[in-house]
Amino acid sequence: MGQASTTSIGLGLGNLPVALVPGHVGTQSRQELVDNILGTTLDHVVQNLTIPPTAATLAEDPAPRDVVFSGTIDEINRLFTENQWSDSLPVVPPTMERVEAFLEFTDRDPNEVLAILLPDSRAATVWSVAVNGVMAGCRPEYMPVLVALIEAMGDPDYGVEHSGNTPGGETLITINGPIAKQLRFNDEQGVLRDGFQPNTTVGRFWRLVLRNLAGFLLHQNDKCTFGNTWRVVLAENEAVLDKLGWTTMAEDLGVSKGGNAISIARYTGSGLIASASGNTGDKILPYLADGVLKQNTWHLVFTIGTSPGTLRPLIVLSPIVAETLAKDGWDKERLRQYFFDHCRMPAYEFERYLGEWTEHPIRNLQDQVNLQRAPEVFAEGTDPNRLVPIVFKADDFMIGVSGDPLRNHAITFAHNGILGYPVAREIGLPENWEAKLRATR
Amino acid sequence: MSMNSEIHNVVWPRAARQIEEAEAAPRLDTLDGKTVCQLWDFLFRGDEVFELLESGLKERYPTVKFVSWKEFGSTHGSDEREILANLPEKMKSLGVDAVISGMGC
Repeated sequence: MGQASTTSIGLGLGNLPVALVPGHVGTQSRQELVDNILGTTLDHVVQNLTIPPTAATLAEDPAPRDVVFSGTIDEINRLFTENQWSDSLPVVPPTMERVEAFLEFTDRDPNEVLAILLPDSRAATVWSVAVNGVMAGCRPEYMPVLVALIEAMGDPDYGVEHSGNTPGGETLITINGPIAKQLRFNDEQGVLRDGFQPNTTVGRFWRLVLRNLAGFLLHQNDKCTFGNTWRVVLAENEAVLDKLGWTTMAEDLGVSKGGNAISIARYTGSGLIASASGNTGDKILPYLADGVLKQNTWHLVFTIGTSPGTLRPLIVLSPIVAETLAKDGWDKERLRQYFFDHCRMPAYEFERYLGEWTEHPIRNLQDQVNLQRAPEVFAEGTDPNRLVPIVFKADDFMIGVSGDPLRNHAITFAHNGILGYPVAREIGLPENWEAKLRATR
Repeated sequence: MSMNSEIHNVVWPRAARQIEEAEAAPRLDTLDGKTVCQLWDFLFRGDEVFELLESGLKERYPTVKFVSWKEFGSTHGSDEREILANLPEKMKSLGVDAVISGMGC
C-alpha cells in the first residue's frame, strides 16, 4: 500500500485510493485468499469507487540555487540524513562553490533537463547532477561521466521506474574509452571493491540520484525485500581487449570503437566462478557455462513471461581467462554462441520457475511458442526433459573483461530483464577537456 | 577556526517535480448499471482476486458489468507503454465508468 500511495504522488495522483489485499497472496491458501479478498479488499474497493477522496496538495519545492541550510559539516550531515537526502554516510556539503566547480567540466546549460525521472517525476538537471556528484565525493572532472549516466538513467529502455521493485537489484555501471584511464578508474585487481575514488564515488552518486531525483526511499517507493548498497563502477581492461581484438561492452551496445561511454544494467546478484582452470576452451567453458546457468533461476521470467526476450546475463572474465580463450581461437561471438548452446536446462525445470514456483500465468513453453512469444528453440519436441536455452538468442549474453590480470576467475551477474535493461551512452566532453583535466592534477 | 566549526551554505539536493496534481475522477453513487474494468499486471494471482471481487460486487450490485483484464493485456511488461497509452481510447469505446487496477511486484 505504501509504495502505491507514494508512487501515485509523483504521477500527479496524490489522492489515488488504494485497496488493501492483506498479507501476500503468494503465501495464502485458496480459503485464506477468499477470506481476505471478500472480508477486506471488497469493502475497500466499494469505498474507493463510491466515496470521493480528500484533495491532495504538493509541497512547495525550493529553487535550485536556494541555500536551504547554513551550518557545520556535522549539522549538514544530520539534516541531510534526517531529510533522507543522504544514504546516511557523511556527504560532502553541496555548496555553490563546489557545484560551480563541477559545472566547469561540462558545456551543458546548468538548467538543462537531462531526464524526468520516475517515480517522483523530478527534473534531473545538469545542476542537480552536479549537486549529487558533490555529495557523493566525486571530483569535478567526473562531471561528463555523471551527465552521461543520468541520460542513460532516463532512457525508457532502461526503465528506472522499476528500481524500487521487491527483488531489489542494483545497477552495475561499466565505463569504456580513454576517459577511464584519464580519470584513473581501476580496471584491474579489486575492480569492484570500494577504494578507488572514481569507481567508488560514481557508484555512490548513482544511488544518491535514485534517492534524491528519482525519489526511491526505503519504506516508501523503494520496496526491496533485502537490497544491498551501490555497486562500485566496473572499468573494462581495454589494453587486454585491444590486444585480443575483442570489442568492449560499450561497442556491443552500439557505441563506436574508441568512444568514451558508460553502460548500465540492473542485476539482482552475482556469482564468482573461481579457478577456471585449463588451457583451452573445451576445458574452461563447461565450468563457466555451469556457473552462469546456476546464477539464473527465477530470472527466467524475463526470458519468457513478464517481458519476453529481455534477460541479458553478464559474464566478466579476468584478463588471463580471456587471453587463454583467445589463444585457443575463441572470440566474443563464438563465446556467446557457446553459452547459448550450453547454458541449458530441462524444459520442465524452466516451466516450473514460471508457473509453479513464481506464479506467473504460464505453464507450458510450447504454448508460448505457438503464441509467438518465444522462439522455436523452446519447442523442439515435447519431451519435458529436452534442454532449452535460458535466453532468446546468443547475443543476449554479455561478456566483459576486467579484474586481476593474473587470477583465473570469472564473475557472472543475474540480470533483472526489463527492470534495468542494458543501455549505453557516449560521454560528451567539454571544450578544452584535456587542459582542464591537466589543471586538476 | 577548526574544520568542524566552519559554516557551509548548502543547496537542495533534490529537484522540482514536473507534474501537475490531477483531479480525481468523480466517484459513482452506485455501481448498479455501471461498467467496471479490470487492469492487471499478470502477477500474484490477480486472476483469482478479480474473480472474487466480481462475485462479491455482483452480490451487492446485481446489475454491475465488468470488462475483464483479458481485454487489455498485462499492464507490466514489454508492451506496458503501448497498452497504457491506448487505455483512454479503449475505455471510452467500451463505455467504462470505473477502473480497478491490480498490481504487485
